[in-house]
Amino acid sequence: MEGRYSTDPEWASVTPIDLDDGSSSGAMPLATIAYPAEYLEATSYLRAVMAANEMSERALDLTKDVISMNPAHYTVWIYRAKILFALDKDLNEELNWLNDVSLKYLKNYQIWHHRQVLLSSKTHFPTFPPKEADFLMEMFAQDSKNYHVWTYRHWLVRHFRLWDQPRELEDVEFLLKADVRNNSAWNHRYMLRFGPRDTSLPDAGMVNAGDLSTAPTEKGRLSIVDEDLIDGELKFAQEAILRAPENRSPWWYARGVLRAAGRGLAEWEGFASGFVSEGAVKSSHAVEWLADVFAERAGKEAEAVRMLTMLKEEFDPIRKNYWDYRIRKLDQAVA
Amino acid sequence: MTSAMKSDSNPRPGIPALFTQPPPIRDPLITETIDLQNATLEKCLPFLKGIHSTQKDFNDHGVPALQRDLHISYLYDALEDYPEGFVAMDASRPWIVYWALAGLAMMGEETTRFRERVITTLRPMQNPTGGFGGGHGQTSHLAGSYAAVLSLAMVGGEEAFGLVDRHAMWQWIGRLKQPDGGFRVCEGGEEDVRGAYCAMTLISLLDLPLTLAPGSQAREAGLESLTSGLPEYLSRSLRCADTRLQAKHLKEVSPVALGRRPMAHTPFVLWHAFLSWGPPEEIFNRHMDIPMLVSWLSARQSAPEGGLSGRTNKLVDGCYSHWVGGCWPLLESSLEGKPDSTEPPANSLFSREGLTRYILGCCQGNDGGLRDKPGKHVDSYHTCYVMAGLSAAQNHHYRTDSSVASNNFASSFSWKSSPSRDPANVFSRGDRLEPMHPLYVIPHKAAEQMRLWSEAQPLTI
Repeated sequence: MEGRYSTDPEWASVTPIDLDDGSSSGAMPLATIAYPAEYLEATSYLRAVMAANEMSERALDLTKDVISMNPAHYTVWIYRAKILFALDKDLNEELNWLNDVSLKYLKNYQIWHHRQVLLSSKTHFPTFPPKEADFLMEMFAQDSKNYHVWTYRHWLVRHFRLWDQPRELEDVEFLLKADVRNNSAWNHRYMLRFGPRDTSLPDAGMVNAGDLSTAPTEKGRLSIVDEDLIDGELKFAQEAILRAPENRSPWWYARGVLRAAGRGLAEWEGFASGFVSEGAVKSSHAVEWLADVFAERAGKEAEAVRMLTMLKEEFDPIRKNYWDYRIRKLDQAVA
Repeated sequence: MTSAMKSDSNPRPGIPALFTQPPPIRDPLITETIDLQNATLEKCLPFLKGIHSTQKDFNDHGVPALQRDLHISYLYDALEDYPEGFVAMDASRPWIVYWALAGLAMMGEETTRFRERVITTLRPMQNPTGGFGGGHGQTSHLAGSYAAVLSLAMVGGEEAFGLVDRHAMWQWIGRLKQPDGGFRVCEGGEEDVRGAYCAMTLISLLDLPLTLAPGSQAREAGLESLTSGLPEYLSRSLRCADTRLQAKHLKEVSPVALGRRPMAHTPFVLWHAFLSWGPPEEIFNRHMDIPMLVSWLSARQSAPEGGLSGRTNKLVDGCYSHWVGGCWPLLESSLEGKPDSTEPPANSLFSREGLTRYILGCCQGNDGGLRDKPGKHVDSYHTCYVMAGLSAAQNHHYRTDSSVASNNFASSFSWKSSPSRDPANVFSRGDRLEPMHPLYVIPHKAAEQMRLWSEAQPLTI
C-alpha cells in the first residue's frame, strides 16, 4: 500500500516491521482492531526505528504522528522522551506543544509522566518555570479534581521545593473558594503544610510514613510543631466547615492537622457540638467527631454509643454495619 | 423528560426508603461538587426506585434480575473485532482479553475454550527481554503483563503457562525494581503502586525467585530481594493523616480504560500488593492505621445510590464496587473472622444490600454489559469490575490453614470462599456469580493451577 512513509524518500532506507497479530499460527487472534491504514503504516515504521534505537529528527516526527492518532500509546512517549534528550531539543517548545495535547486529552495518563520526565532534567530546568503553575490552573479550570494533574503538581512541589512558594497556597485557596468540597485541593494543602520535606528520603504521603518502627497511629506526627501554624490551619478548616458543615473534607483535614501536632480531637468538642443540637443536626461528621472524642474518654462510652447510634439510625444509615462495628468495639473495651 | 417525571413517582414495593430518598443532611451551599452529585442522584433515582422503563424481571425486594444472557453475549462479543475508532485501545489489548475472560468466568462460562486464541493473541506481545507489552513491538509493561498472565491462567494448560518466559520475566522485573523498594511500570516509565501490585501478582503466580537478578539497579543500590523495602514503600504511599487516606499514586491499573477517563484507584491495589506477600492480621496491624482505614473505606458508600466512590466528594462509579468493595472481604476476614479461621466472618462491615441494589439497579446496560452509572456507556472494563464487586458481595472469603504454595506466598494461596446465605441478601438465586480469588481476581482454581505448575518448573538462576 502506498502511504505517507513508504512514498517518502526520507524513509526509503527503513524497512518497516509489519504488525504481527499472531494469526500466522492459524488461530484467530482476540480483540483485534480494524486499524486505520495510516496508523498501521506509522506503527510499522515505529517498530523498525525503535528496534534500531534510532535517535533522529525523522523518528521524532514519527512519534508525534503516532501520538496524534493514539495518545494512549505509552511506548511512543517513552521513545520520544529519549530522542528529545539525545538530540538536545528545546524542551520549552516541547512543553508548549504538550500543553495543547493535554488540554485536548484531559484524562490522558502518559502526557503527565512525559512532562515529569522533561521537568526532571536539572540541566534544562535548574529552577521552577513559573509558567507551569499558570498551565496547571488552566487544566484545573477544565477539571479541578484531575488526579494526574494533582499528582504532577505534588511532584513539582517536592522537586523544586515549593512548599512555601506563595503561589502554591494561593492556587489552593482559589480552588477551595470556588468549591470548598474539592478534596484534591485539601490534600495539596496538607502536603504544603505538613508533608515530609526531606528530599534525601523517598517521597511519602506524610512524615514517618515509611518508618516501620513508628506505630501506624503515630505516623504523620511532626517532631517540631509550629503551634501558630496549627492554629491557623484549624481556623481555616473551621471557616470552611461553617460554609458547608456536611462537607467531609475539612473535618478530615482537621484530623490530619491535629495528628500532625500531636493534639487530640477533644479541643474541637465545643465546635463540633455546635452542629449537634437536639432536633437539628447539621453535620454527620460532627456527630462522628463527638463519638470519637467520647470513645477516648473514660466514663463517656455511653455517650459515644449514643452518637454512633444516631449515625446508624438517622444520619448515615447506609453505614449501619460500620457503626455497629464501632459500637461492638466500644462494648468490648468497656467489658 | 420521562426520567425526570418518573423521579417523582412512587418506588416499587420492597425497596426501603433509604434507597429512594435524598440523604438526610444537605448543605444549602451549592458548588460544582454538589451540582454533579445532584445530577447523578436525579439520573439514578428512577433506577433505584425500580421504575425505569428499561428495567425488568424484578424480585420481591424490587431489584431487577441480572440479565445474564445479555451480559454473556456482550462479553463474547468483546473478545472479537473492534472498529477503527478503538485505535486508542491498541496498547491495552491484553486488558480487553482479561476483562472479558474474567467476566465470563464469573458468569460460569468455560474460558478454557479460548486457550489457543489467547496464546495466539499474546505471543507476539511478549518481548525476548522479558514481560509483555500492550501489543506487538511495544515496550513491556507491568500492567499489560499482569493482564496477559491472568488471562493465561484463566485458559490454563501446559501450553498457556509455558508461553511465559519466566526467566526473562524475572530479570525484567528485577530491572524495574527501584532502590526505594517500589517498581517502575516499565523501563523509562513511572514508579507507582500499580507497579508494586502487578509485580507482586506476577512474582507470586509464576513462582519467580525473589533474589534480584544481577545487574539490576536496585541490587547495585544494596537491595537483595524483589521484596526488599516493599513494606516501607507501600507504607509511604498511604497518607493516613490526610483527608482522603489513599495511596498517593493509585491510578488505574490499565493504561487506558476503553478510552474512558483514568481512575484514581483506591487502597485495593496497595493492600493487595501487601497481602500477596503476608497474612492480613500481620500486615494490617503492623503497617496500617486500621481504625482510620476502615472509616475511610466505609465512607466510600453513600445513600441513596448504595454504590461506592473512589475518593471523598467524588461520584459513585460501578467500577469501585471492585476497587473499593474488593477490599472488604480482606478486612472482614481479619477484623471479624477468627484468627486462622476456616469459617466465614460473621459480620459484614458494609452494606451488601446497597451495593447489590446499585449494581443490579443502576449499572446494567440495556443491551448487555455493565456501566459506571446511568447515562454512561457500558464497556468491558466496567463489566468486569462491576461484576467482580457483585461477586465479592455475594460470597464470603476467608483464609484456611492449607495452601497450594509450598514456600513463599503461602498465605496468598490459602483463600477460600463460600456463598453468602445471609437472609438480608436482596439478589435472586439466578443472579449468583462465581467467586473470584480476592487477591488475583481470577477463579481460585486458575490461580492455584498456575502456581502449582510454576512450582513444578523451578527456575535455575
